[in-house]
Amino acid sequence: MSNRTLPRLLQTPAVILLLIWMLVPLSMTLYFSFIRYVLNNLRRPEWTTPSIENWRGFGNYNFVLNNQDFWLAVQNSLLIVCSILFLTVILGVLIAVLINKAFPGRSLVRVLLISPFFVMPAVNAVLWINMILDPVLGLQGLAVGGINAVIADLQNAPIIGPFFSLWPALEPISFRATQTSAYAVIIMVTWQWTPFAVLIFMTSLQSEDQQQKEAAILDGASAWSQFRFLTLPHLGRPIAIVVMIQAIFHLSLYAEIEIVSRGNGNKNLPYLIGEFANNNIGAASATGIFAVILANIVAIFLLRMIGKTLME
Amino acid sequence: MGRIVLENVTKSFGETQVIPPLNLEIDDGEFAVFVGPSGCGKSTLLRLIAGLEDTTSGRILIDDADVTEVSPSKRGLSMVFQTYALYPHMTVRKNIAFPMRMAGLSEEEQEKRIMTAAESLNLVDYLDRKPGQLSGGQRQRVAIGRAIVRDPSAFLFDEPLSNLDAALRVGMRLEITEMHERMQTTMIYVTHDQVEAMTMANKIVVLRAGVIEQVGSPLELYRAPQNLFVAGFIGSPKMNLIDGPQAQKHGATTIGVRPEHIDVVESGGAWTGTVGVAEHLGSDTFFYVHGTGLAETLTVRAIGDVSLKHGDPIQLAPRATEIHRFDADGLRLP
Amino acid sequence: MAIVAQNSKYGKAGRTILAWGVGLLFFFPIFWLVLTSFKTDADAVKPEFLFFFTPTLENYLNMTENYDYWRFATNSVITSVFATLFTLAVGIPCAYAMAFNPSRGTKDILMWMLSTKMLPAAAVLYPMTFLTKSMGLFDTHFLVIMVLSLINLPIVVWMLFTYFKEIPKEIIEAGQMDGVNTLGEIREILIPLAWGGIASTALLCFIFCWNEAYWTVRLTTTEAATLSKLIEGNRAPEGLFFGRLSAVSAAAVGPIVVLGWFCQKQLVQGLTFGAVK
Repeated sequence: MSNRTLPRLLQTPAVILLLIWMLVPLSMTLYFSFIRYVLNNLRRPEWTTPSIENWRGFGNYNFVLNNQDFWLAVQNSLLIVCSILFLTVILGVLIAVLINKAFPGRSLVRVLLISPFFVMPAVNAVLWINMILDPVLGLQGLAVGGINAVIADLQNAPIIGPFFSLWPALEPISFRATQTSAYAVIIMVTWQWTPFAVLIFMTSLQSEDQQQKEAAILDGASAWSQFRFLTLPHLGRPIAIVVMIQAIFHLSLYAEIEIVSRGNGNKNLPYLIGEFANNNIGAASATGIFAVILANIVAIFLLRMIGKTLME
Repeated sequence: MGRIVLENVTKSFGETQVIPPLNLEIDDGEFAVFVGPSGCGKSTLLRLIAGLEDTTSGRILIDDADVTEVSPSKRGLSMVFQTYALYPHMTVRKNIAFPMRMAGLSEEEQEKRIMTAAESLNLVDYLDRKPGQLSGGQRQRVAIGRAIVRDPSAFLFDEPLSNLDAALRVGMRLEITEMHERMQTTMIYVTHDQVEAMTMANKIVVLRAGVIEQVGSPLELYRAPQNLFVAGFIGSPKMNLIDGPQAQKHGATTIGVRPEHIDVVESGGAWTGTVGVAEHLGSDTFFYVHGTGLAETLTVRAIGDVSLKHGDPIQLAPRATEIHRFDADGLRLP
Repeated sequence: MAIVAQNSKYGKAGRTILAWGVGLLFFFPIFWLVLTSFKTDADAVKPEFLFFFTPTLENYLNMTENYDYWRFATNSVITSVFATLFTLAVGIPCAYAMAFNPSRGTKDILMWMLSTKMLPAAAVLYPMTFLTKSMGLFDTHFLVIMVLSLINLPIVVWMLFTYFKEIPKEIIEAGQMDGVNTLGEIREILIPLAWGGIASTALLCFIFCWNEAYWTVRLTTTEAATLSKLIEGNRAPEGLFFGRLSAVSAAAVGPIVVLGWFCQKQLVQGLTFGAVK
């Protein structure tokens, strides 16, 4: 009634803005996904303007589903996301447990650890693929070259020389190649997001019941069983949240893929959409809808989980 | 002025009606206490008067003006909250000045009123501290100071003493009562503590489940409780309630006798039993008596130290004039 | 007991060394970026100058000439600052309404807001390009500011909501009794009280705006292009210009990494939507 009307109205600007932001482009995507719509087509110029006349039904979806690139992109998206999740959670738990107890310089170590998270994705990719992973001029190339040089020297040495002669020269790995560029993306994103996992797990560990731990120690539990039966279950919920939040972020990875390989054999869904969008808008839109569906599967679980703790 | 009238006021949260239609008048200068067990709707009622909750239907009048649709800031009331609700980012001085600043009073006037309030509440030395540096009792005084300075037509208190420890509570109780005597402004005070109600009020409103059970002065409620609920709620220790043949002898379904209206006698008592627990306070002795056949336990208050102990037989004589009679619906019989 | 104590003493030393090792390892790429930025392009790829070289500032001094850095940096600052301000201007009243005047739908609205954040941006790439081009907004500061605001609005509302909820409702009610109107409640009570929370929300929002790398890349060309676009457009032709590229990258991330150090704690709350405390 009277008193609360104005205060409640204050949320409308935000709601309306987000409503427009969500509904308008998404419904356009949905519409385009059902029509024939290409940007350049000399034979069929009528397809270059969006119109209901060009209705194609599920044709775009069929086209996408029968397109090998789509399945490669889905596969690649999942490979990248799952690998990152696996690595960040394992590393995150280990590091969080490691730095949970006080030691000299702990807060400085925390600062060092968290820093990668604030590096902008474009810089992250440029830094790793050039300065670090480049097979010739990056740290990797320099390191491999250095080791090879040392071994070559040792081969000429007396007595032990013949032994080192058996060693093959090391080959640096090119992370720009089709097969390996996904690894480069996985490495750089894991580097960036492990700090996030560490931070969240650490926050959660701070709230772990210390008395329970002390009771376990008195009961003679080893460090491993304490970790296995007390700490891990306590971390269950944060792990789930880290997994879901990262899944949502990494399903839309873009800058890293673009910079590492220009999608050279290493497309994920966002990249594929970008490629389609250069000409075949219908297919780009249908792919977009699939991406929405994929993200929603994760989002529903995440939202449920957050919703439970929301209003307490 | 501060005459507050509630006409057929109701309040629902969603489907559940917490206040069924309710009528109440509080006269100017009265000290009204809303009392009842937790969840009885007394705080909701206060918040309706304050305007912090919207009324579902009915009207609220302050000095004959309909304020039902008026925002809390325009009702001219002051409120003291259970949690004090001081602004933690402001000093005591700024906390007290805040309502005056909002009302646009001049700096000199603000300063004058702050000093008057601070002097009467013993806060002069603390004016430049933040609430976080004060004790519970001092915070309560600041909250009262903030309420006083805007010269409201009525004060609303929402369980203001329940966060204080027992000793402070008695002190603050006296201060608030004295404040009322001095200012003669309408005060509405919510509490679950019937001792606070009895000692402070000149009008007690007993509530249960959103319904007013009885309105009256403390002694009216003590002497003539209108129903079993009020009978059991007002008075400490509680009134003894007895059903069965004893009650029928008095032509009632239930009779009630307060512990202080049962005399311990050497012989010839109407009721007999055994002492379960004896509490010796020096000035009084409370006996919890079993085996009377009337109720599981009878509470009896004897003046002075009476040296009966656990297991001793005891003879009791209720004063015939002080027996309250209730019918099958729990209502008082004349 | 003696054995246990000794054990834990060595354990502690080991753990300290290990923890420092991990911390330095994670920081190393950033360190390397900064180190490389002080080498000449030629020195940067020579193994003999890996750690010992003659430092030079030429890469930083030539940033404008080589990359037009300041134009992009200015764009980044303008868009991030205004996007943060706009997001707060919309987000604070919204979070206030939700925290202190909740209705039955509040929870659903919050969840829905969050769900907009989970839509993959790529799905609406073409409509956004199409719409902004046809409205003449493509590659304008206004567009970038709006997009950055909208993608961060859900997180900002959530963070503010969790901060505001910690303020006792009675304090706001006391304000109402003391005669403030709705605007006054926000200005006189809410904002001063939640100042810390608002500041860290703003900081985090700013960082997210600064680092955004999808829309700022796809919806700009030159006029409103930010640092993300600059770096993305200059992924080095293999091995060339490592020195100058490092300098411009370091200049792009340096301020943000430092800002980030100040809001680690809030990051947890902000990114997990209050679900991890």
